[in-house]
Amino acid sequence: MRSIVYYVREFLRPEWLKKFFFAKTAPLETPSYFKGYPTLTGKECTQCLSCMMICPAPGAIAVLRKKEGWEPEVYPGHCIRCGLCVEACPEGVLSSGRILDVTGRDKTAFASWYHLEVDDNLCMRCGNCCVSCPVNRELDPQLAGTGTSASDEVIMRIEGGRVRILHEEKCTGCKTCELNCPNRAIRVARMVEGVHIEEAEA
Amino acid sequence: MKKTVDVSIPLGPVHPCWKEPVRLKCETAGERVLRTEVELGYMKKGIERIMRGRPWQEVMFLAERVCGICSVVHNMVFIETMEEISEIAVPPRAAYLRVIVNELDRIASHILANFSYCYTIEHETLAMYLLNTRETVLDNLERLTGSRINTAYMIPGGVRFDLLPEDAAAMLADLAKVEDEMRRYTGIFETGPLIALRSKGIGVMSREEAIRSHTVGPTARASGVEDSDLRLRHPTYRELGFTQITRTEGDNFARVMVRFQEVFQSIDLIRKCVDNLPDGPIRGGGLCKAGSTSYAGEAPRGELTYTITTDDYGRVVDIAIRTPSIMNIEACAHSMIRDAASIADVTSTFISSDPCIACNER
Repeated sequence: MRSIVYYVREFLRPEWLKKFFFAKTAPLETPSYFKGYPTLTGKECTQCLSCMMICPAPGAIAVLRKKEGWEPEVYPGHCIRCGLCVEACPEGVLSSGRILDVTGRDKTAFASWYHLEVDDNLCMRCGNCCVSCPVNRELDPQLAGTGTSASDEVIMRIEGGRVRILHEEKCTGCKTCELNCPNRAIRVARMVEGVHIEEAEA
Repeated sequence: MKKTVDVSIPLGPVHPCWKEPVRLKCETAGERVLRTEVELGYMKKGIERIMRGRPWQEVMFLAERVCGICSVVHNMVFIETMEEISEIAVPPRAAYLRVIVNELDRIASHILANFSYCYTIEHETLAMYLLNTRETVLDNLERLTGSRINTAYMIPGGVRFDLLPEDAAAMLADLAKVEDEMRRYTGIFETGPLIALRSKGIGVMSREEAIRSHTVGPTARASGVEDSDLRLRHPTYRELGFTQITRTEGDNFARVMVRFQEVFQSIDLIRKCVDNLPDGPIRGGGLCKAGSTSYAGEAPRGELTYTITTDDYGRVVDIAIRTPSIMNIEACAHSMIRDAASIADVTSTFISSDPCIACNER
């Protein structure tokens, strides 16, 4: 009985209660150099899709159409916080920790583009790739069902019974052609190079 | 053909001393353990299969996820293999920055290995001291690269971020603290009489056995195998005047002490790198080409080999990874744990060879 009284007295002291409920541990602070999920800086996105092109995690970032223009959206469940999208973006739309400042200071960037490759042995000239390509469809709405087109602006078209790739640099790497190819004859290869900006412009 | 062991005491796959699941089957006679056999295969990820057909910028991130303890070196060896295939030259500043990050990772890995040895011999105080020091090292990795474990710091032809002078100064100040603390802990480990009872003369592997069973890394160096450190052949380390640390005892004590000594050596290497850091660009560019090669680098646990075949556009067609622990674990089961005095010595000997099961089974 005496001990119970002692403990009640001990723990009902205001100092003890204060210490118990208001612990004085310093709050955890995220350091400024921590690479978090990319956030928007508010700069205008030009829909070049560089961030989507370089992202190593499937489905981690998507450039979506919002009311006032395009905007990249990061899905935290898929994002591995590597920060490549921040480095690849030429407009500085995204930011993660201090990567954006660091790349600006060091003048580093990623140059990336797509390479389209058709295996002539596998290709059966169906033209599915040219028809399904969303960029093609936008450039030439008159694109025929066989993949023939009068426009010189399209990425690829059927000429004389075989696929001819005209503008590789317009490819955004959606790989719709790969999906629609019945024979897996067309392959989209992503080329990436880490460069200094002065070098790339020279 | 698998050796058959008359199992009387199985250890694992879930065991408080193991960091990762592995089973040790022990054949005992009374208290003594006569023979042991290792059973792997509890955490196969199939990561080499996932890597196939992907471009290097995706495989780079998969490679460092092979192992959570030595992730930087997986990244480094993969990138250096790709550079060797594509004949990309690295700017000198980038090569030095790579060494700094790699050595920070090595310090963290060695401290973790020694932590788990101290934990296994029930010296929990020293173990927790070591873990506390490891946090400082990881904070420095984060300051350089932005993340503590999976740093993704190296790319073909360079590194991703530069090292600022004020960051370098803060890192050197932290490393001085780490060195100070590690001197004290090494002293505790070296002179502790009870630690010596549990460590000295236990799990002895002779130099001949170490060579015959192809052990690598600190396990081989503790048994007195000369020229068993691949950093001796790495051009940047050669510039820095790297020399190998070798001990001759070959017991648990030697294996832990080699790692303690290598921590100090790594700190010295980082200081040398920061002092002699050349100016210039940190990225040289360069495209990955088709080719096939095998390249090895020194991981914290020993020789790590990547055998890669690529196609014209930098995609990995075929990849095989050989990690250091596979030799060390087998050598540990066959040569070190023979006629051990008790089960307690089996666990401590196994942990002293620094087994990394995640590396091992990929």
